Amino acid sequence: MKLPYQAQADEEPPPFLGTWERVYGAIVIYLAMLIVLFYAFSAIFTPPPSK
Amino acid sequence: MTLLDWIVLAGWLLFSVSYGLYRARGSQSTHGYLLAGKTMPWYAIGLSIMATQASAITFISTTGLSYVDGMRFVQFYFGLPLAMVLISMTAAPIFHRANVYTAYEYLEKRFDRRTRRLVSVIFLIQRGLGAGLALYAPAVVLSVILGWPEHITTFVIGALVISYTTMGGVKAITWSDVQQMVLIFSGLILALIMALSLMPKEVSFLDAVSLAGAAGRLNAVVTKFDWNDRYNLWSGLIGGMFLALAYFGTDQSQVQRYLTGRSIAQSRLSLLFNAAAKVPMQFFILFIGTMVFVFFIFERPPVLFQPVDERRLETTSGYDNIQTRFEAAHEKRRANALSWIRARDSQSLANYREAQREMDSVREDARKLAGAAPDTNYIFLSFVIHHLPSGVVGLVIAVIFAASMSVVSGEVNSLATVSVMDLYRPLKPNAPDKHYLAASRLATVFWGAYALSFAGLGRHLGSLIEAVNIVGSLFYGGMLGVFVLAFFVPRARARGAFFGVIAGEAAIFYCFFFTKISFLWYNVIGCMVVISAGTLLSLRAGAEGSN
Repeated sequence: MKLPYQAQADEEPPPFLGTWERVYGAIVIYLAMLIVLFYAFSAIFTPPPSK
Repeated sequence: MTLLDWIVLAGWLLFSVSYGLYRARGSQSTHGYLLAGKTMPWYAIGLSIMATQASAITFISTTGLSYVDGMRFVQFYFGLPLAMVLISMTAAPIFHRANVYTAYEYLEKRFDRRTRRLVSVIFLIQRGLGAGLALYAPAVVLSVILGWPEHITTFVIGALVISYTTMGGVKAITWSDVQQMVLIFSGLILALIMALSLMPKEVSFLDAVSLAGAAGRLNAVVTKFDWNDRYNLWSGLIGGMFLALAYFGTDQSQVQRYLTGRSIAQSRLSLLFNAAAKVPMQFFILFIGTMVFVFFIFERPPVLFQPVDERRLETTSGYDNIQTRFEAAHEKRRANALSWIRARDSQSLANYREAQREMDSVREDARKLAGAAPDTNYIFLSFVIHHLPSGVVGLVIAVIFAASMSVVSGEVNSLATVSVMDLYRPLKPNAPDKHYLAASRLATVFWGAYALSFAGLGRHLGSLIEAVNIVGSLFYGGMLGVFVLAFFVPRARARGAFFGVIAGEAAIFYCFFFTKISFLWYNVIGCMVVISAGTLLSLRAGAEGSN
C-alpha cells in the first residue's frame, strides 16, 4: 500500500539547488552550523564559575 | 507617552488594519474568506507564519525571559527547522492534494467522522485558551502605558480584534502580517541599537556582552541532558521538533496559512523560509533581553517592573527596608561590574556575581511582600517606556500591538473555520455557500468572546511565552500522534486512531499532574502513546475483522 505522502506529485522543482531533497539537506546543515556558532558564542563570553 | 508617540501608534494601527482590509476586498465566499481563494505567494505566507509567532508575547515575554534566565530559551526552537523539513515532505503536499479546508477534514477521509470531531474539539479547547493568552499580552502593554486595569484594556483590544477579523478573513490577516513583519524587524534592530547606545561610554559592546555572560545570561546551548530541565539541546531538538511538528502540521491556525498557497511548492517555500529565519530571529530577540539586562546594571531599575505591584509594594510596612537593600545591591553590582570589565580578574568576577545574587534575592523578597506574580512580561516594556526617545516609544508599542492583534485574529479565524467546517457543516451539509460564510463570521465573534473570557488567566501564569507553549503541549502530542498514524501507518484504522488519541491525552495529563517531566517532552510522550495504542488497537480490530 502506498502511503499518503508518497503519492506522486504534480511537483514543481524548487527555485534553487535543483531538487527538494537538496534544499532539505541544506536546511539541516544550516541548523547544525547555527548550533555550533551559538555554543562557541556562549563559551567565549561566559567565564568559568567562581570558586 | 508623548503626543508624537500617540500619533505614531494611532497612525500605524489605522494603516495596518486598513491595508489588510483593502487587500481582502472581494472575499465574499467561504473559499475566499477561509482560504484566500488559494492565491497567496510563498513570501506572504512565510512572513505571515513568522508574524503569528512574533507576537506581543515574543517582544515582551521573550526579552524578559532572557533578562531573568538567560538565552537558553533559544534551544526551544532548535527542532523547528527539522519539523519544517518533515512537514514540507509530508503534511503540506497531503493537505494540498486532499483539497481540504482544515487538517481535521483529512482525518475523516482517512479514518472516520468521529476521529475528525474528537481532534477538532481538542484543537478548539487548546487554541481557544491560547488565543486568550495572546489577547492578554497587548493588554499588559496598555495597562503599563495608561495605568488602566488589565481587564479593561483586554476588553478594548478584544473588541477591536473581533471586528477586524470578522470583516477581513484570512486574506486580510495574511497581508497585514506581511507589513507587520517588516516593521517588527525594524523595531527589533532599533531596540537593540537604543539599548547599546544608552549604556555608559566606558562600556563597549564587547564589555556588555561579557557582563551578560558573566551573569550567566548567554547560556544559549546547554548540552547536559536532564528530563526535568525545560531547555537544553536535547529537549530543544527532540521535544521542540515534536512540538513544532504538531504546531505546524496539525494546528489549524498554521495549516490554514499554508493551505492558502497557490501550489505545493509555494507552501513548501513558505515553511522552509520559516525554518531558516526563525532560530536566528529568536536568538536576536533574546540577545536584546540580555542587553536590556546589562543596561539596567548601570541604570537603576524599578524594584518590581509591574507598576501596579510596585505601587502596592510602596504601601507595605517593609518597603523602606526593601528599598534600602535594593539601592545598596544595585550600587554594589554597578561598581563591581565596572571593576570587573577593567580588571578582568577572578576576584572582581566573584564580587560581581555575588552582587547579582543579592539583587535577585531582594527582588524575590519584594515580590513576596507585594504578593506579586513574576514580572517577566513587564521588563522590556519598562525599558521602552522610560528610556527610549519620543516617537520610538510609539513605534515599538505599535509593533507590539499590531503583531498581537494579528496573532489573535489569525487564531480566532482558524477556530471559526474548524467550528464551521468540521463541526457545523457535517450537521447541515447542503446549505448555500452564503450560509456558511455567515456562520463563519458568527463563529469568529463567538471565539473572539471566548478568548476574551480566558484572557485574565494570563496574569497568573508567569512568563506568557512559556504559558502558551505549556498549554499547547498538553494537547499537541495527541494531535500529532493521530496524524502520524494517518500518514505513516497504512494499517491504522478508525477505532485505533480514536482510542489512541484518548490514550495519548491521558498519558500527557498524567505527566502534567503527577510527574516533574518538562513540558516539551509531553509532545513526544503523547505522540508515542497514540502511535503505539492506535497501532495495537488497529491490528486487533483487523484480526477480529478477519476472524
